[in-house]
Parts: sequence; C-alpha cells; structure tokens
Amino acid sequence: MNKTVKSTLILGTIALISGVILASLNTVTSGRIEELNREKEQRALSQVLPGYGKITEKKININGNSVSYWTAEKTDGGKKQNGYAFIASESGYSGNIVSMIGINEKFMIEGIYILQQTETPGLGARSEEVISDLNFWDILAGKKETEAKKPWFQRQFTGLNVSTGIKLVKKGNWSESNRDELLKNNEITAITGATITTSAVRRSIENAVAEFKDVIIPADNGEAL
Amino acid sequence: MKMVKEFTKGIWTKNPILVIGIGLCPVLAVTSSVTNALWMTVATTFVLVCSNLLVSSVKSIVPAHIRIPVFISIIATFVTVVELVLKAYQPEVYKSLGIFIPLIVVNCIILGRAEEFASKNTILLSIADGLGMGLGFGATLVVLSFFRETLGANSLLGYTFIPGMKPATALIMAPGGFIILGLMLWGMNKINNRKK
Repeated sequence: MNKTVKSTLILGTIALISGVILASLNTVTSGRIEELNREKEQRALSQVLPGYGKITEKKININGNSVSYWTAEKTDGGKKQNGYAFIASESGYSGNIVSMIGINEKFMIEGIYILQQTETPGLGARSEEVISDLNFWDILAGKKETEAKKPWFQRQFTGLNVSTGIKLVKKGNWSESNRDELLKNNEITAITGATITTSAVRRSIENAVAEFKDVIIPADNGEAL
Repeated sequence: MKMVKEFTKGIWTKNPILVIGIGLCPVLAVTSSVTNALWMTVATTFVLVCSNLLVSSVKSIVPAHIRIPVFISIIATFVTVVELVLKAYQPEVYKSLGIFIPLIVVNCIILGRAEEFASKNTILLSIADGLGMGLGFGATLVVLSFFRETLGANSLLGYTFIPGMKPATALIMAPGGFIILGLMLWGMNKINNRKK
C-alpha cells in the first residue's frame, strides 16, 4: 500500500476512535454540567437577593447581546419592596471578574456573589476566601464547621449605597468589629496586596448599576421600578 | 525485577522534575495549594498511565514518521476525558486548576515518556513507568506545595496552619515557587552526593 495512504488511514482511524469516545463521554457529562451551572445560578441568586420571594428571570437585548436580569419582591414591615439582580463584569489583575449583584429599589446592595475570577492565589483570589474559626489542627482533631460561611470580601458590600459612590479604604480584613464603621462611611476595605482586584469589583458594580439605571429600566417600560 | 526498577526510577533516580527537569510550568502554577497539587497529580498520573499503555500497544502499527501526531491525539483524548469528568463531578477542583487541565496535553513529561519509553517497551513495563513517573511528579508537587502553602499563605488544605503567624506572601507567587524548587534541587543533589 502507498505510504501516504497508509499513514492517513492510521491517523484517521485514531482520530475517529478518539472522537467517538469523547462524543459519548460528552453526552454523559453535559447534562450534569448544565445542572451544576443552574445550581450555581440559583445559589448566587439566593445570596444576592436574600429573603426575597419568587425570583423571575428576564432577558433584554442590548446592542445585539441578550442580557439576563432578575426581579423579585418581598414585604418588609408591611411595605412591598422590589429587588433586582444582574451580572457585572470587569477585568481585574488577570482576566475578568464576573459577579452577580443584587440591589433594592433604593440602590442599596443586597448582596454580591463572585461567579468567576482568575486572580492570583493568595492575593486577589482571596475575594472568595472564607475565613474559618477553626484551624488545621482543629480539623485534624475532628472538629466540624458549625455553619457554612460566606466570603468576607463579598459580605462587606451588603448594605452599601451605590448611588452615593463606594469608597475604598485599606483597613485590613473586614470583620464584625469594623463592620459598622465601614457601613456608616459607605466604605469597603481592600484585600491586602490586591487593590487592583478590589477596585475592579467596585468599578464593575458601579458600571453595572449605571447600565441598569440607564438601559434596563427604560427598556423595561417602567415595569422594573 | 525489571518492573519494580522501572516503577521506582521515576520517583527518585529519574524524577521528571528534580532530575530530568521537564514539566516545570504546571509545577510552578499549581503548587500554591496542597489540594491543587494532589488533584494535578491524580490527573497527570491518569493521563500518563493511559497514554503509555495505548502508545505501547499501537507502537508496532504506527509508522515512525507519524508517531508524534498519533501520540498527541492519544494524550489529548485522555486529557479531555479528565477535563469533562472533573467539570461534571468535581467543579470546585476544575475551577481552581482551570487552564492547567487542558495544558496537560503539552506537558513534556507525558510526550517525553511516550517517545522515550512507551514506544520502545512492552505494555506492562510502560504502565509501571507511567505510574512511577506520575508519582515522582506528584511527590515533588506535594512537597513544594506544602512549603508554599504553609509559609506563603499560613494555611494547609485551606485551613489556618499556625494561628497568628504572618505569612510570607512572596512564596505563594511564582518567584517563591522558583526559590523553593531551587532549594529542593539543592537538597536532592546534596543527598545524592553523600551517597556516592
């Protein structure tokens, strides 16, 4: 047999076999991967709009792209209150930081949830760091975490007012002890050594809220607010 | 026992990282935490063993001039298997290893072993070689990541290691990885020289 034909056949067969293997594996895993993505979206929604009732997804066309946002309602002390969630994205120190932002009708942040980031481990990646009360030796001794904690960096955004501008200060890690002081001044504290990451998240929130005000609300025909 | 010899050489005398000095990119990239290092070891060893097995079993029918594309197809298939499985069943791991999973395809340890060993030896010996090389790679990764995570971030497996200690953040970044890898190379050579 011609050498070229033989080589082509061998390489073609191997490519075909690997294609069949991967295609069949993909049919097994794709359902599970989609399910995980949906779960993640639900988890993010419950974190950014805590206490709200049924959350409805809406889609809007902005410059040819379909953009999702979510609306929800809750009754707070007999008064009806609307809540909105949308996706914010901004390039950080390495790659995009994508997060979901929840606000109420007074443009106060209800919660943020970082969906995707590829920042430096130990620095910017601490935007997803959860500080446990337990240390490594407690875990070795068999102690268990009592409750699932949220990342401190994301928790500090809850309660801030976006329309007056969020200030950035450097006061070390956020904790329950400096929470009131930061909230009073509408401030967030930067991650040590990762100011770029911190300001990227702040900028992404401000831009996304501005876009929400300028584009989504008018397009929503007054339904949103 | 030739099998045992082929298996153990990868761990010490022919350690892919500390002796041969290949595959350094993932070594520096994923060793910022012990968890990442362990999962990278599992993924790489799986790909290494499977690709060695297949390369060794098709070696007689593949003409020499197309062997590299064949090896790469085989390796890429297994890497994609690992990627899909991690994405579906270990999403957290997939997220933290990120781009370094698909990049296993171009890890020179795997192509190097296919070319240098599996394409010339029997199936059983190739499996032993792949397993040994994978574990040697993994052992280096775990030791390196242990020092980087404990000293650089003061944590181990994600939990605070020594309460109150201030971490040396430089070690978690690439330069710190190089420094610790350098110290490991020095330690290894020191031990080997003493043996002589």
